[in-house]
Amino acid sequence: MDKQSEFVLRTIEERDIRFVRLWFTDVLGTLKSVAIAPAELEGAFAEGIGFDGSAIEGFARVYESDMIARPDPSTFSILPWRTEGPGVARLFCDILLPDGSPSYADPRHVLKRSLAKAADLGFTFYTHPEVEFYLFKGMPELGASPVPVDHYGYFDNAPHGIGHDFRRQAITLLEAMGISVEFSHHEGGPGQQEIDLRYADALTTADNLMTFRLVVQEVALEQGLFASFMPKPFRDHPGNGLHTHLSLFEGDRNAFFEPGAEYQLSKIARSFIAGLLVHAPEITAITNQWVNSYKRLAGGAEAPAWICWGHNNRSALIRVPMYKPSKGNSTRIEYRAMDSATNPYLAFAVLLAAGMKGIEESYELPPGSEDDVWALTASERRALGMEPLPASLDQAIALTEKSELVAETLGEHVFDFFLRNKRADWEDYRRQVTPWELERYLPSL
Amino acid sequence: MGAREVPSLTVTSERQSAPAMRLARSGFRDPERAERLLDSEVFAQVHAEMGDHLASALGSCADPDLGLMQLTRLIESGSDPDRRRWVREWAADPDALARLLDIMGLSVALGDFLIRHSEVRTVVIDSEGLTRTPTPEGMRTALLHSVGGDPHDEAPTATLAEDAAMDALRIRYRELLLGVAVRDVTGMASVDIVAEWLSDLADSALEAALAIARSANPHHAASTRLAIIGMGKCGARELNYISDVDVIFVAAAPEGVEESDAVTSATVLAKAVMRICSTATAEGGLWEVDAGLRPEGKQGALVRTLESHLAYYGRWAKTWEFQALLKARFSAGDRALGDAYVDAVSPLIWSAADRDGFVVEVQAMRRRVEENVPAALAEREIKLGPGGLRDIEFSVQLLQLVHGRSDVMLRRPATLSSLEALATWGYVARSDSSSLADAYRFLRTLEHRLQLRHLRRTHVLPEDEDELRVIARSLGFRSDPIAELMAEWRRHAREARRLHEKLFYRPLLQAVARLDAGEARLSLQAAEERMAALGYANPSGALAHLTALTTGVSRRATIQRTLLPVLLGWFADGPDPDAGLLGFRQVSDDLGATPWYLRLLRDESIVAERMAHILSSSRYATDLLLRAPASVQMLAADEELTPRSLESLTIEVDAIATRHDTPEAIVSAIRAMRRKELFRLAVGEILGTTGSADVGRGLTDVATASIDGALRAAWQSVAGDGVHHARIAVIAMGRFGGSELGFASDADVMFVYEVLPDADETEAGKQAFAVANELRALLMTASTDPALEIDADLRPEGKSGPLVRSLDSYQTYYARWSSPWEAQALLRARAVAGDPDLGARFIAMIDPLRYPIEGLAPDALREMRRVKARMESERLPRGADPRLHMKLGPGGLSDVEWVAQLLQLQHAHHIPDLQDTSTLSVLDAAVTHSLLSVQDAATLRSSWLLATSIRNAVMLARGRPSDMVPTDPREAMAVGFILGRGARAGTEMREEYLRVSRRARQVMERVFYGE
Repeated sequence: MDKQSEFVLRTIEERDIRFVRLWFTDVLGTLKSVAIAPAELEGAFAEGIGFDGSAIEGFARVYESDMIARPDPSTFSILPWRTEGPGVARLFCDILLPDGSPSYADPRHVLKRSLAKAADLGFTFYTHPEVEFYLFKGMPELGASPVPVDHYGYFDNAPHGIGHDFRRQAITLLEAMGISVEFSHHEGGPGQQEIDLRYADALTTADNLMTFRLVVQEVALEQGLFASFMPKPFRDHPGNGLHTHLSLFEGDRNAFFEPGAEYQLSKIARSFIAGLLVHAPEITAITNQWVNSYKRLAGGAEAPAWICWGHNNRSALIRVPMYKPSKGNSTRIEYRAMDSATNPYLAFAVLLAAGMKGIEESYELPPGSEDDVWALTASERRALGMEPLPASLDQAIALTEKSELVAETLGEHVFDFFLRNKRADWEDYRRQVTPWELERYLPSL
Repeated sequence: MGAREVPSLTVTSERQSAPAMRLARSGFRDPERAERLLDSEVFAQVHAEMGDHLASALGSCADPDLGLMQLTRLIESGSDPDRRRWVREWAADPDALARLLDIMGLSVALGDFLIRHSEVRTVVIDSEGLTRTPTPEGMRTALLHSVGGDPHDEAPTATLAEDAAMDALRIRYRELLLGVAVRDVTGMASVDIVAEWLSDLADSALEAALAIARSANPHHAASTRLAIIGMGKCGARELNYISDVDVIFVAAAPEGVEESDAVTSATVLAKAVMRICSTATAEGGLWEVDAGLRPEGKQGALVRTLESHLAYYGRWAKTWEFQALLKARFSAGDRALGDAYVDAVSPLIWSAADRDGFVVEVQAMRRRVEENVPAALAEREIKLGPGGLRDIEFSVQLLQLVHGRSDVMLRRPATLSSLEALATWGYVARSDSSSLADAYRFLRTLEHRLQLRHLRRTHVLPEDEDELRVIARSLGFRSDPIAELMAEWRRHAREARRLHEKLFYRPLLQAVARLDAGEARLSLQAAEERMAALGYANPSGALAHLTALTTGVSRRATIQRTLLPVLLGWFADGPDPDAGLLGFRQVSDDLGATPWYLRLLRDESIVAERMAHILSSSRYATDLLLRAPASVQMLAADEELTPRSLESLTIEVDAIATRHDTPEAIVSAIRAMRRKELFRLAVGEILGTTGSADVGRGLTDVATASIDGALRAAWQSVAGDGVHHARIAVIAMGRFGGSELGFASDADVMFVYEVLPDADETEAGKQAFAVANELRALLMTASTDPALEIDADLRPEGKSGPLVRSLDSYQTYYARWSSPWEAQALLRARAVAGDPDLGARFIAMIDPLRYPIEGLAPDALREMRRVKARMESERLPRGADPRLHMKLGPGGLSDVEWVAQLLQLQHAHHIPDLQDTSTLSVLDAAVTHSLLSVQDAATLRSSWLLATSIRNAVMLARGRPSDMVPTDPREAMAVGFILGRGARAGTEMREEYLRVSRRARQVMERVFYGE
């Protein structure tokens, strides 16, 4: 039996927990939940809970629709926002096939496989996400523009600001669930917030991000607001990025750190960055999985659209943050393309795979860029050898379809499902007639 | 330069003095240095008082160079009066000096210790003391005294300060260890006794460490009761010189203390004990205390109460944890609590074999134990790998778990005494048990000597020859130490490698065969329990087969009794052990009376092994074998498994046709020949001796020869000795034409005839039809031999067209009606039987059709693509996952074949190399002529080959065909086994198929659809 199971069962008794929610994530990154009575949990630890996988996006074909969700006791947490009435707890699950082997359709397993591969080479993968989202005054009517809760900007400290209270409440709940928050502030857009989670191993971070999105939405509802992680809700305001700091550890040692090297970056770090750069185009469909994601990447400012890296360069795809002396273990790199609506399990898995590929094949790191990439002319960018990230979901899918790296990382099943689903999404989008078209063409054509 | 150095070297050796040569003979590696040392002032007094004793003592130790060097250092370390006193001691008892050198000349670490603390030499010198057996109480008293603790106290507490106490404990511990080592290397104690002493010593050290911990944490010491339970080798009292000491900590609250406080205090003490034992001080460390066997392992609480332990074992524990508990024993601390713990957990152990998943877990554990040792170490590894120390220990424990539930006599912790008990109570044969015990003792002794050398944990023989020689000499091998050691090791390894046969399987036969009335034997119930544990799904059925096979005094029963223990193990390694045993019984029932059969099995061990492999994995091959068990002879030689050539098959067909008179007799002989060849090919595929492409060609040749023979029989049946009105040729189509038949394939054919000169056209047509019809009937009617399905649906107009056509009729048809689809099908046409001249003319007639001079016109190309696209959406069976359909799914066989056929239709007229019916040959030719890149061809080829071999393996495993990659776990495992893949074959095989077929699909879309 897994570690901690007994602790979990005891806590459930002591804290009068009446419902246990078993969480898992479908291939698109949507949180799924099934509630069981505490009495069933003991059995669930041992054998899991059977469910019909064919009903879950991307999980199963009909022939293997019998699937099993087995809770991971190390993810036990009591849901703090349901304070009144009997308590509710949650656990993340691993998805298994009836013979007990892990399901290749489970995004959590995809990430675990990727992590295990890196672990074979002695590496642990740590991530530290900065999550951006918008707060609105309630869910807008279909077709109407959403109304942000305020009109403040970056780092504004709004007295009695709704966002301020919101962040305080959300952070309290997150901390109560054992998710440490490093940093939070008002972001650049009206009503836009940023909350940075503390760095942790990638699996924990991914679990935390799933929890985070739910907590934020719960708190918003409680306060009569509406929160959205949509990548780019406004044309003229910044999108919701998920800038993520990445680092590899060998045991207790940060493998990215090498004292005395340029920017204190070890050869491993340089190859890892090179791997991300080489494979960035083909993993973008995973890190930026929605039609709307590409509106953010086209938006300029802090969203990267060209493949390059730079020391403390906020317009580059990969930023190497300023090195703080005596903090060798905090050496890391920041991947800036991802958005808040990604499936963190799959995204972390492909980021790690791309970086590891760079290490395994000893890719050479091209020179970094100090320029504001958006300010360069097209010819300058060409001269510097900067390739663009895919400009649309369509382009991104086409690149991913040919990617052995992504296929291998996601496994054939998820790879196939994901691409088919995205292709369908794109086909649907292509048929849309947008307000922009009506506005521009209807009067004149 | 080199030339000048060589003679000077020679001079040195020639100058070797007479004493130096004597020293070399007594085992010194560096006699010159030895001579110098012995001549030095240091040894003057020794020589004076002891004469030759020193030389002979040196000569008898394991490493004379080391012994002399260490003795020199020892003497030099003493003051003048010391030296005089020591030499007088040695002179008084020359054996004492010999013992000193036995230790110092083997163990570098203990030698250094002696030099650092010369006062401990009395342990070695005092011959009287050595005859007294070390007792647990004595060791406990000595180690507690060393830290200032009172052994009579219920909870002894150290009085020395912590640092001083730790050093004192280490010195006293090594002194006692030295005492054990001296008794060991001088042969005063056997290896199991030495291991017991080492365990007792570890117990005492834990006790003393706890005393130190108590004195450093008096408050905690007062508010808890702590027992340390020895686990693993320590618990079994079979510890090595250096090894982690496995423990579990149990706490209880004394009167008036809250339980949680008591656990907290006990945790403080337990952590201190672990630190006190492992920390390296100036005197080094003792060993690591490993508490990893506790509930929840490293993640669990370090200390638990007895109730908490029991709750865990009652609910969560895995099989291996119960196996670990076999060894639990009170080691140190609160004895009442420790004994209560052991009493409470032992009943739990014996229910382990009843748990769900026991068999699966045990098999996984067994695989882990036998997992391959890295090749570089395999030659020198004594612990891991089949037949190693761990394998012996594991196997004994497994038998204890299986049988210990119903038989309390087996409930013992140590390996040797358990082995003894298993023999005494009939679970293992006495002779097998004693040869295994000998092997185990030998390996353990070897391990002890290895560890003594540097007091380091190791179980790998050194690579360095000098080091190896020392180890060999320490075991008493003197004339050619290394060779003798290796020979002895090999002798034991031979015994140990047949461990599972002896421990697991042979006793099963004793249970059912009722031999050796004198010896105790396994009860039937115990035998069933064991069968189940070994993976037999229906143990009582299996035992019934065993009984039938081995009962009686016939020669057959006798031989089978010796064979079955091995066979049972091989069956258990396959996916379906029960089917293996059943198949063996059926074959034996059939062949038992034939004299060669048992001889073959007995004398050619490869036959038995292969037969077990086949019977436990392939229904298809088993079925063929049961129809004609004599085919088993084929398994004896590799060359028998090579597919036979078409020529040799044709010769056999000729002979058959001449030998037999009636058509039925001819066809029956031919079908028997085919069955035998199918078995040959099936075995080649299962054992991996025949490649996929060769299997395809072999199956095609067999079909060709069979049709050839059947055609002759059909003629005879239709026309007898009468007049022939027509000649007939058989044209192979589809995979048959491509020489790519699988085990599940039908033979696609077309029949063509030609009216003989002067014959009546109508008569000729009737006759040709009758012959073709008869040929199909002869090959397809049910009989004991498998039918060959003859499928003529590819003929013009398909099922509604006439079965046979004249050459002219084909020509007219193709000229007027033929669709592009038919031209494509004709790409695989090949004349295989009947009139060769007619066949050749048929082929010549269709060549312009299938290799069109103008290639493929744009609208024909478009049509071909459209047909393919429609097939992809329509032909797949409903509900099936198209990606797993190996024939019609994306990237499957049909995709690859259509690419090849497209290239042929486009280019074959100009490139004769492309005029070939085999898909793989066409792909090769396309690469040669730059129609396809090397990479693309390789991608297509690997998908085609994988699909082909999985399809064959499915047929071989189930005996029924399927075009789907198996998803049922059991089936996937059986298929994976036939393909020679590992334990988790199922999911991996599916993943691999999806990967290669996805790549093949990309190539196909590019080349075929022109995307």
